[in-house]
Amino acid sequence: MTNYILRRLAQTFIVIVLLSYFCFYLMTLMPGDPVELMIQSNPKITSADVARLRDMYGLDKPAYERYWNWVTTIASGDLGYSRTYRVPVSEIMGPRLWNTFILSAAALAVALIVAVPLGVLCALRPNSKFDYIANLFAFTGVSAPSFWLGMMLILVFAVNLRWLPAGQTYTIGQDFGFWGTIADRAYYLVLPVMTLAYLQIGVFLRFTRSSMLESLRNDYVRTARAKGLSRDRVVWGHAFRNALLPLITILALSISSVFSGATITETVFSYQGVGRLVYESILGNDFNVAMVSFMISVSMVLIFNLVADILYGFADPRISFR
Amino acid sequence: MSEITSSEQRTPPEDSTISRRRIEAAEKVQSLGSIIWEKFLVHRMAVAGLLVIIAFILVALFAPLIAHVTNLNPMAQNALHRYLPPFSTTTASSSQREIEVERFIMADAERAARLQAEALEKGLVASVRPEDALYDLAEMPGDELKTAVKKLSVDGAGDFRALTANFETYHLFGTDELGRDVFIRLVYGARVSIGVGIMVALVSAFIGLLIGSVAGYYGGWIDVLLMRFTDSLLSLPQLPVLIVVSAVSVEKLTEAVPPLGLIATPSNESIVKLVFILVLFSWMQVARLVRASVLSLKEREFILAAKTLGATDRKIIFRHLFPNTIAPLLVSVTLGVGSSIQTEAALSFLGLGIQQPTPSWGNMMFNALEIMLDSPFLVMIPGFLILMTTISFNYLGDGLQDAIDPKTLRK
Repeated sequence: MTNYILRRLAQTFIVIVLLSYFCFYLMTLMPGDPVELMIQSNPKITSADVARLRDMYGLDKPAYERYWNWVTTIASGDLGYSRTYRVPVSEIMGPRLWNTFILSAAALAVALIVAVPLGVLCALRPNSKFDYIANLFAFTGVSAPSFWLGMMLILVFAVNLRWLPAGQTYTIGQDFGFWGTIADRAYYLVLPVMTLAYLQIGVFLRFTRSSMLESLRNDYVRTARAKGLSRDRVVWGHAFRNALLPLITILALSISSVFSGATITETVFSYQGVGRLVYESILGNDFNVAMVSFMISVSMVLIFNLVADILYGFADPRISFR
Repeated sequence: MSEITSSEQRTPPEDSTISRRRIEAAEKVQSLGSIIWEKFLVHRMAVAGLLVIIAFILVALFAPLIAHVTNLNPMAQNALHRYLPPFSTTTASSSQREIEVERFIMADAERAARLQAEALEKGLVASVRPEDALYDLAEMPGDELKTAVKKLSVDGAGDFRALTANFETYHLFGTDELGRDVFIRLVYGARVSIGVGIMVALVSAFIGLLIGSVAGYYGGWIDVLLMRFTDSLLSLPQLPVLIVVSAVSVEKLTEAVPPLGLIATPSNESIVKLVFILVLFSWMQVARLVRASVLSLKEREFILAAKTLGATDRKIIFRHLFPNTIAPLLVSVTLGVGSSIQTEAALSFLGLGIQQPTPSWGNMMFNALEIMLDSPFLVMIPGFLILMTTISFNYLGDGLQDAIDPKTLRK
């Protein structure tokens, strides 16, 4: 077990290092570099200045040398300075990460609360009208472009009905106290969470349904029925508990898709999260922020996957860690 | 009594033909294809999805024809009529008409003179000066102009008719930020969006097939290496990675890797790049699927037989393993088209996908974002089309899965 975890950790670490180099190299291939931006903003700049600046930032060196420089600075705890926000990168990252975490966790929770009971109900009455409608609902969620869904929600709830805010993270410049702040955040979270959760609802619902159908067909369910147990006991105590296992896998896999979805949702709702930070810093050529936010988001997903794999082992004793 | 016998006599033959037909149908050997097709037809939503997809593909294929028939041009801009609501008609101003007619006369004075003479002769216009006849004709309001122009019959009348047909355009879905017709841009966008989706699904199926079958067939360290790579790509959050990759400039990349310049020309650059990027991150599912089925297939007798007969590895993989993985592959390709269309739209929406002026459903939404409150239609329609297409592909995949799955076959 310890052996397995250590080996997986080592693998994850190698993937992260390879990815960071890959990403670093790609960034050198993006249009424009910091000095080019300085040239644009300063018409009086001479070519001697440009050469001096390139030398100062190390831009004339090959990519692997620059990468090594970057890694050593990061390792020493210096994340660098954001060119867009004019603050150290470490100052931006904290709140952004927290915001994304709240959004993703809330969306996952909502998705599970809605999808699992619906999926079980569908499995109990397969091919009924209810099953049909729930399936359509699920398919729409899987198929709808999330940004489009977000915009439609804004049009309905923010523009026409004026119930909810169209974007932003919280009311700026006001202090509501502890509970007030939570309520304020929740108020701004409703639409983004709805958007992000809908996609996962589709995935979870269909998965719960098929896994529940599968487990209802098992012999032990028949035995439990034959013993004369109540329907509820059979469904929830025997079938559902076994249907839950594969659901954990899909939950782990969905973490990375929730994170992807969060990027789009955050952009549509101008929510201050990491996903949007990755997007904006790359478009804005804010190199340090882009690298760090990208690496953090990727590492987070990889680590969550690892945790989910380990938890899965605990949940299902039949799985052996090799 | 006689009535009863007559009715008895009438019914049995019918009954027996029906039952005979049934027996014949039951006795007839059904091919696997027809069994699957029959099972597929039971899934009503999948059939509906297939029909929607066929309709969309037809529209995409015949986009130039539609443009020709409706006399619309996806690139034609009109600064005076931006952001028109759906179902609106634009008419060219009189000065615009004058310029057009002048150009027409300049292009071929003889043809213009013929038309002018005929117009005056038939009394279509009552111009004070004969030279003004064509100008006056062009200034007529919509329907009057149409009937008047129809009466012209001399050589060259068709050209003039085509010219005046442009004076009035009906915009079914309104116009966009440059006054371009949204309907025809959606039609051409279908080409790009569905084309990219299908291309990505096919190419990634091929790559996945290769990698999956090699990993599954050879096993050992090749399998470990390939599958570790596949798994680590699968576990990445797709969108942030895609954003980083698609922000790369093709110019700098072709400098680093010159052969790329052969495929990517400036005109198709954004499409080639997008297909490449989407393929890069969508072959993994297929690879895993193929590997799993190859692992079970390679223990089967027919592979052993082929090996005993001295078939090379390449022959076994291409001739014996590939055909047997087609069924699950088909499902995953179908589902892949839907998700590729979605990802293409998401990237185009972020401004990193297909670039203007080439229309795609995603970038049409990206452009409409600023004006969403005033003309919500510009956002609603392309998004709805994406939804329709992906939902159809998903239902189709679902139906195929049910039809192919041998577990349901036994019932």
